[in-house]
Amino acid sequence: MNKNIKREEIDKHRGDLRLDNVNVHYGDNHAIIDVSMFIKQKHVTAFIGPSGCGKSTLLRCLNRMNDEIVGCKTDGSIYWGGIDILGKDVDPVPLRRKVGMVFQKPNPFPKSIFDNIAYAPRIHGIRDKKKLIEIVEKSLKDAALFEEVGDRLGDSAMGLSGGQQQRLCIARTLAIQPEVILMDEPCSALDPIATAKIEDLIEELKKNYTVIIVTHNMQQAARVSDYTGFFYLGKLIEFGETKQIFENPKEDLTEKYMTGRFG
Amino acid sequence: MTHLWNRKKSKGAVQKNPFHQRFNFSEKTIVILLFIAASLAIFFSAAILYTLIDGAIPFFQKVSIIDFLTGLTWIPTESVQLFGVLPLVINTLIIAGVALLIGAPLGVAASIYLSEFASDRVRSIVKPIIELLAGIPSIVFAFFALMFISPYFVDNFGASYFNAISAIIVIAIMIMPIIISISDDAMKAVPNHLRETSLALGATKWETATKIVMPAASSGIMASILLGLARGIGETMVVLMVAGGRVGYDLLQPMLPMSGYIGRVATGDMPPGLSHSAGFAVGIVLFVMAYGINSLGARIVLRIKTSTSVKSAKVAKKRNIIFRILLRISEGILFVFLKIGGAIKSVFNKIRNLIRKGKLPSLRERYWKQRLGIGVIGSSIIIAFIFLIILLWFVFSEGLSGLSPTFLTSYPSRFPEKAGIFPVIMGSVYLMLLTMIFAAPIGIGAAIYLNEFAKDTRYTRFLRRIIQNLAGVPSIVFGLLGYLFFAHVLGFGMSLLSASLVLTIMVLPIIVVATEEALKSVPDSFREAARGVGSTRWQTVRHHVLPNAIPGISTGLILSLSRAIGETAPVLFIVSFFTKTPPSGIMDGFTALPSQIFYWAQHAKPEFHTLAASTIIVLLFILLGMNTIAIIIRQRAQSKRDW
Repeated sequence: MNKNIKREEIDKHRGDLRLDNVNVHYGDNHAIIDVSMFIKQKHVTAFIGPSGCGKSTLLRCLNRMNDEIVGCKTDGSIYWGGIDILGKDVDPVPLRRKVGMVFQKPNPFPKSIFDNIAYAPRIHGIRDKKKLIEIVEKSLKDAALFEEVGDRLGDSAMGLSGGQQQRLCIARTLAIQPEVILMDEPCSALDPIATAKIEDLIEELKKNYTVIIVTHNMQQAARVSDYTGFFYLGKLIEFGETKQIFENPKEDLTEKYMTGRFG
Repeated sequence: MTHLWNRKKSKGAVQKNPFHQRFNFSEKTIVILLFIAASLAIFFSAAILYTLIDGAIPFFQKVSIIDFLTGLTWIPTESVQLFGVLPLVINTLIIAGVALLIGAPLGVAASIYLSEFASDRVRSIVKPIIELLAGIPSIVFAFFALMFISPYFVDNFGASYFNAISAIIVIAIMIMPIIISISDDAMKAVPNHLRETSLALGATKWETATKIVMPAASSGIMASILLGLARGIGETMVVLMVAGGRVGYDLLQPMLPMSGYIGRVATGDMPPGLSHSAGFAVGIVLFVMAYGINSLGARIVLRIKTSTSVKSAKVAKKRNIIFRILLRISEGILFVFLKIGGAIKSVFNKIRNLIRKGKLPSLRERYWKQRLGIGVIGSSIIIAFIFLIILLWFVFSEGLSGLSPTFLTSYPSRFPEKAGIFPVIMGSVYLMLLTMIFAAPIGIGAAIYLNEFAKDTRYTRFLRRIIQNLAGVPSIVFGLLGYLFFAHVLGFGMSLLSASLVLTIMVLPIIVVATEEALKSVPDSFREAARGVGSTRWQTVRHHVLPNAIPGISTGLILSLSRAIGETAPVLFIVSFFTKTPPSGIMDGFTALPSQIFYWAQHAKPEFHTLAASTIIVLLFILLGMNTIAIIIRQRAQSKRDW
């Protein structure tokens, strides 16, 4: 009996991410300094802070995108499901299938809507047309885009509006069936209406996925996130429940930033 | 302090507008001179057209155009002469086509490797090798094909001494650098965020390169292949020396492509009369083919460069119906190929699904695919590298024994042990200096006009296109131009002057492009600052733009001259192989190094082949020296640059 409870307890936290003393250097630049935090699964965590504070860099550690940058060195550990995903023995290619990413600017491939979403399933070996259609439809529905583009999947993705393109990028990420979705300022290039749609979508997504979002927009962080981390000059200044961070910050720096009395 | 306005008033004069427009004589003169330099390109293009048409008129008076274009037999020298050009066209297409079939996959593979997989260190080693390959004159490739590759096929496959396959192999290697550099540019232009997205979706680098980068760069790759094809069609020296002198349809036997025939006319193998003027008629066909393919390729490249804004792409679309039709046709062909490819792929997929029984490929399989793929494309670079090594090793092992101080200081002779190349070296040096005297002011002036003064009018665009398309004229057509237009119509004779004018036109596009690049690298803020303190446009260029662009311009100039000095075909009609003394004036006859190599390589006595190889070594050292100077200038300027 007791054992079972423990097992449940462990399973409940299996998908959580634990960052231990993560450091990132770009050449001489120490971009992330000793960041440790605990990201809960199936919640939305927001990273906020002024430009250049390292929040995007930290986000890119979580799916090892920093590996692609020459001269970028990452130390520390990020434990996920009992594995250190920063470890030398972890291959970023399969990792990225479990940790999807949505970029700042909507960046569809210059292909049709269908091919955009089918790209990743295809490279993972799914060739069956029926199955692909199924995946594409499900991803589009999950990204709340199917109603708008369902009848023109063969059209070029470049013809969609910015907001639609960004939701397409989210659908494309969902098609690889990730567990974590990283969003790097997903709304910074969008108008308020498109932003609202994406925010609703994030609300929907957290039922099934762990969402980590980097944002410049503090209202957005307050609206969509459950936990918020405030970064400044590469350091994690404060991390906690969003409500607490916004209403009752413990750190002076956080309060200054929240109230706009910065600098 | 008296103000500008008040000064004259205080002296009691009538108040005048101090800013009124004055006529600036020297400024206007200079702009007009620059304008003329740029517009000379139209004159040069017209001269080429005039040459081809005027030269072919005597031919078409005897032979009907329809017989010429549709005839299936080409017998120029028998008592019953038949001039059907189709066999020559087909031979050209076979040689260029098969060479492309080998060279294009190698080139594209190498460019994928360079742009997607090579580390900076590998790039810094491979790039100079590719540039070296591009800088070797075609006469050297021809010599290598004739002396090294051809004997191999003769011994092992029963090929005849002159055969098409040897020519095809070296042409395949010769077109590689063109394809590599343009495809590489096209793939580098693919925005990085597409790569990042693909990687973030869990694709391997190989999958990203083949499924995202290559399709996005496909039009650039297609353009590079077209330009490579144009190069293969226009290549003269290799087919002239290696492919033999009669029409054939067997790769191991001789073939006679169009450029080869014109080359034969140039070397005096054809009797005067109809078979001679037929060279011009063939020249028209060759010109149209090479020019068309080249300008199509060049315009695709241009379209990619300017298509960053939607608007300019639309303007480009509107402009030219012929271009659009050609583009549609080539896109149509590509579409058919893609469809066929797609059909084959779907059959392949079905078979694979049957074997896999619905199981997905494991990560290991995907990595093996990547490893295999990188291995295959990487080996294309190794092939080019090995080819280069063998070529250099062969030339040096053949020619080193002939090199001696007396070889450099004595005169050509019938006796190989006494022969030297002193007048030949002097001929090349004079030719280069004279070419520089003509080409530098015209080319640099044209570039300054186009980059600093010209507005974006129809005329300017026309000029740009004309200059760009000069680069697509096959080198042997320049030979016809020198022979008919400069030597005969203008009466300059078989002289240094005629040859240097031909080479001037040939290197003009290279100088213009290099100069424009150098001018563009000077930041606009310099121009604004100069204009802001009241400089005129020419003053701005003279004092602020040119001084900063000089290193780039001189680098381009040296490189284009090193190209000119290695050319054989454009001066093939003009050189006098039997000149024994260095030229003493610009109207004298002369021989140049590549021509001497050509003459000796074809000599019956094998001792002269050694001398040809020795001359190649001398030529290569001169080219190496010029390139080194250019690199030193570039690097010194870069290290001194503080902006």
